[in-house]
Amino acid sequence: MAASSIPSLDSPRAFANKSQKSVLVAAIRMALRVEGPAVRHNVQTLNRNRYIATAAIPDYEALKDRARAIKERALARQEELVATLEASVNRNGGHFFFARTAEDATRYAAEVCKRKGVRLVVKAKSMTSEEIGLNHVLEKIGIEVAESDLAEFILQVADEQPSHIVGPALHYSRERITELFKRKFETHLPLDTGEELTKFAREKLREKFLQADAGISGANFVAADSGTLVLVESEGNIRMTTLVPPLHIAITGVEKIVPSREDLGPFIELLAASGTGQPMTSYTSVITPPLRAARVITDGAEPEREFHLVIVDNGRSKMRQDPVLQEALYCIRCGACSNCCANFQAVGGHAFGGETYSGGIGGAWEAGTHDLARARFSDLCTGCSRCVPQCPVRIDIPWLNTVLRQRLSQHDSSAASRAMKQVLAGAPAADAGASLQKFFFGRYDIAGKWGSRLAWLANGMSRLSLTRSLLESFVGLDRRRDLPPFASPTLVAAARRRAKRNRPAQALAARHKAVLFADIFTNYGSPERGLATLRVLEAIGVDIVVSDALPDGRAALSQGMISTAAKQARRTAARLAQYLAEGRDIVVVEPSVLAMFRLDYRRLLEGDADRKLFESLRARSFDAAEYVWKCIQEDGLDAAAIFPAARSPRGARLFYHGHCQQKTIGSAAPTEALLRAAGFDVVTSQVECCGMAGSFGYKKEYYDLSLAVGRDLFGQVQLAEAQGERRVIVATGTSCQEQLHAGMQREIVHPMELLAEIAQPAGA
Amino acid sequence: MDLLDQFESAAREAAATVERIPRSPEAIAAAVARAAPNAQRIAVAELADLPSELFDDCRRLPGVFTGRTKKELSAAEVGITEAFAGVARTGSLCVAVDQADTGYASLLARTHIAVLAVEDIVERPADLFRPDRLNGKGLRRNYVFVTGPSATADMGPLVRGVHGPQRLHILILV
Repeated sequence: MAASSIPSLDSPRAFANKSQKSVLVAAIRMALRVEGPAVRHNVQTLNRNRYIATAAIPDYEALKDRARAIKERALARQEELVATLEASVNRNGGHFFFARTAEDATRYAAEVCKRKGVRLVVKAKSMTSEEIGLNHVLEKIGIEVAESDLAEFILQVADEQPSHIVGPALHYSRERITELFKRKFETHLPLDTGEELTKFAREKLREKFLQADAGISGANFVAADSGTLVLVESEGNIRMTTLVPPLHIAITGVEKIVPSREDLGPFIELLAASGTGQPMTSYTSVITPPLRAARVITDGAEPEREFHLVIVDNGRSKMRQDPVLQEALYCIRCGACSNCCANFQAVGGHAFGGETYSGGIGGAWEAGTHDLARARFSDLCTGCSRCVPQCPVRIDIPWLNTVLRQRLSQHDSSAASRAMKQVLAGAPAADAGASLQKFFFGRYDIAGKWGSRLAWLANGMSRLSLTRSLLESFVGLDRRRDLPPFASPTLVAAARRRAKRNRPAQALAARHKAVLFADIFTNYGSPERGLATLRVLEAIGVDIVVSDALPDGRAALSQGMISTAAKQARRTAARLAQYLAEGRDIVVVEPSVLAMFRLDYRRLLEGDADRKLFESLRARSFDAAEYVWKCIQEDGLDAAAIFPAARSPRGARLFYHGHCQQKTIGSAAPTEALLRAAGFDVVTSQVECCGMAGSFGYKKEYYDLSLAVGRDLFGQVQLAEAQGERRVIVATGTSCQEQLHAGMQREIVHPMELLAEIAQPAGA
Repeated sequence: MDLLDQFESAAREAAATVERIPRSPEAIAAAVARAAPNAQRIAVAELADLPSELFDDCRRLPGVFTGRTKKELSAAEVGITEAFAGVARTGSLCVAVDQADTGYASLLARTHIAVLAVEDIVERPADLFRPDRLNGKGLRRNYVFVTGPSATADMGPLVRGVHGPQRLHILILV
């Protein structure tokens, strides 16, 4: 990490290639300082609007299934579809070209332009043409290229790469655009409002549209059976580009081809809602070029119109062969995964992105169309999973990034350090490349086991500044973070003692039997939450036991140590299968662990028997509060009588923050419902993630970003308390609690602790 | 809510203005004169789906011009076209872009006035791709879903009127 390798702060271009981690870290610093406020405002607006727009689609989930199925079918039959499309375009009177590489594509476009004597090209926004570097090639042969999308126009003036898949310049505030235009155009025209800036750009570009010899566009979708293109926009520049100049070249990726025109419907209904959060954007063109309209409006020249469709491979066939990355080819570039991403909201795509593609899905695309090292920014995906339910084609984006993380670790590590980790900790060969930092967090089960056995020593040492400085230098653990202390006794030990002491007179036939899973975070870090859960479950008459402490694989998975996670998953699932066979449901305190059972084990448990086991685990594992709420409803109990909020020594006014993965798997809403039913006055946080995201906020290089994300949450607590007395801050996740504690300097309570304090046994 | 009401409220939501008028050449011309009272340059596009005589009175309005070069159309204040379909859920119009001058008149003018027959309103965008809707009229090769006036948020706040019209006024023939 030589200082000289860190680029200057002049232009985001300098940060586009993040093959080196030092560049990623510098880009985060730049983005937080310069671009953060505009990014946050614009991205959070898009995020809010998407929730509203998708909620208004009555068959939203079914539509996503259809879109996914169409993409799967298209990808499976791609060669055939390319041939069909070629025939369609030829039949329509257009020209078809399949470009194997970026160079093939740009060379073809340049040759067409040269042959037609093109001097001026108007371009509509196209990520594919960004990817292949088209403008540069055309400009080199003396062709003027006018970007006509206003965001691309800004970027062309500023010479920057896009910072968002849908809104390429949303890192620019109005004030910064004014400053940029005044400087670059040396004009004294008034440019101090959105209207004035738009008028300025419109007048410049209207001239270009009328004079242009060629229009170059992308395409959102292409129907093979008819050669029909769909292009989605709001400004009208795509309509101009495809309609007005005599020559139209459309350049798009091979993955955009769907089998038939009829398949376009679901995508048209999903794209705008998922992207900008509108039912439809202003213009969705459905065109089968060459267009004939120009025959009427010819300006007395060029009666014929010419059309070329360039289909770009550029690494996509290789992605298709890749069992994991191929899923990225379903992407319809709506940007929903970026908009709902807490880290992206804070820094945008110049930090969380590469040369062309950004956000959660961007890593797979940069790896697929450039090379693996360019995907390093995907480390900013914390696996919080908020994007999973937002993706209109159901791409498991966190999984793509987990696999990229493992591959990057393998790519980076030295043979010697791999061998050491294999010998010392029995790391599977595939995971032995993980950095010391990833290894430390990924094997928290080892730290927890020894830390709680030697809690007095470990906790004492972790407070020493020497220890913290060593941990920071060697493991990259930021010294500004408090380390959660190791507990002694552990949950398992405490529960065993408790069972001996007050062998409870179990109800004769409890209606509900469950096992409390002693996850490593609760067991070694916060046994009091587990004990509170036991008291709450007993209060509603559940027959409850505590499992052994077993690593579930979450910690390893979050560091890209997939083989370790799979090994742990198989062991844990086998043990849990025994409880299921006894008729016990599984209750989990830590939401990220529950998300393993409900989501991630699908990837980690292979084979038919294991898959069946996954299905039972998914159906029968519950968040603690979710389980309590389910039992109360099934048994017709009165939550307010068993957990009378008015008796809470802390007061009945709460601020509740649901854990990111808990929201994804649907167990945050039941927690809220339970607390309300008990009589609490609940204000709920409106952030996607607290920013701590497991180990993410502990890492030295991400500490500032983590806190920047957290500030939204802290602000919401303050806002909720602005009109009245303080609220008790309630959070379910361990890392959310750490983050809230760091930001608010107040005690953070787990819902089970809150309820255990006031529990009045049912039927007592 | 019936399709017409749903269409109207969705189109308003998308910042279009809407009025329902009788199906006659006089009513259309009167509505245009009300919507753009002082317009100097009005481009009236040809009709292909609706009966051609529906625009007869419009074509006689003061300010109507007949020049059809790109440059002339680019200077239009008002472009009047038909829409061959409307979408209730989204408030979108479907406007042909490959027949005669409809594509240009609906794009280059500052104000776009579109005429839509009430029986051409379907429920959702995907209906345009179904042979059993609109008598298959939606299966045509070249058209655009128009949902409100052109807009951008790229320059900071939301601005209406970018490369396309700043204003969209819809006349529904009932």
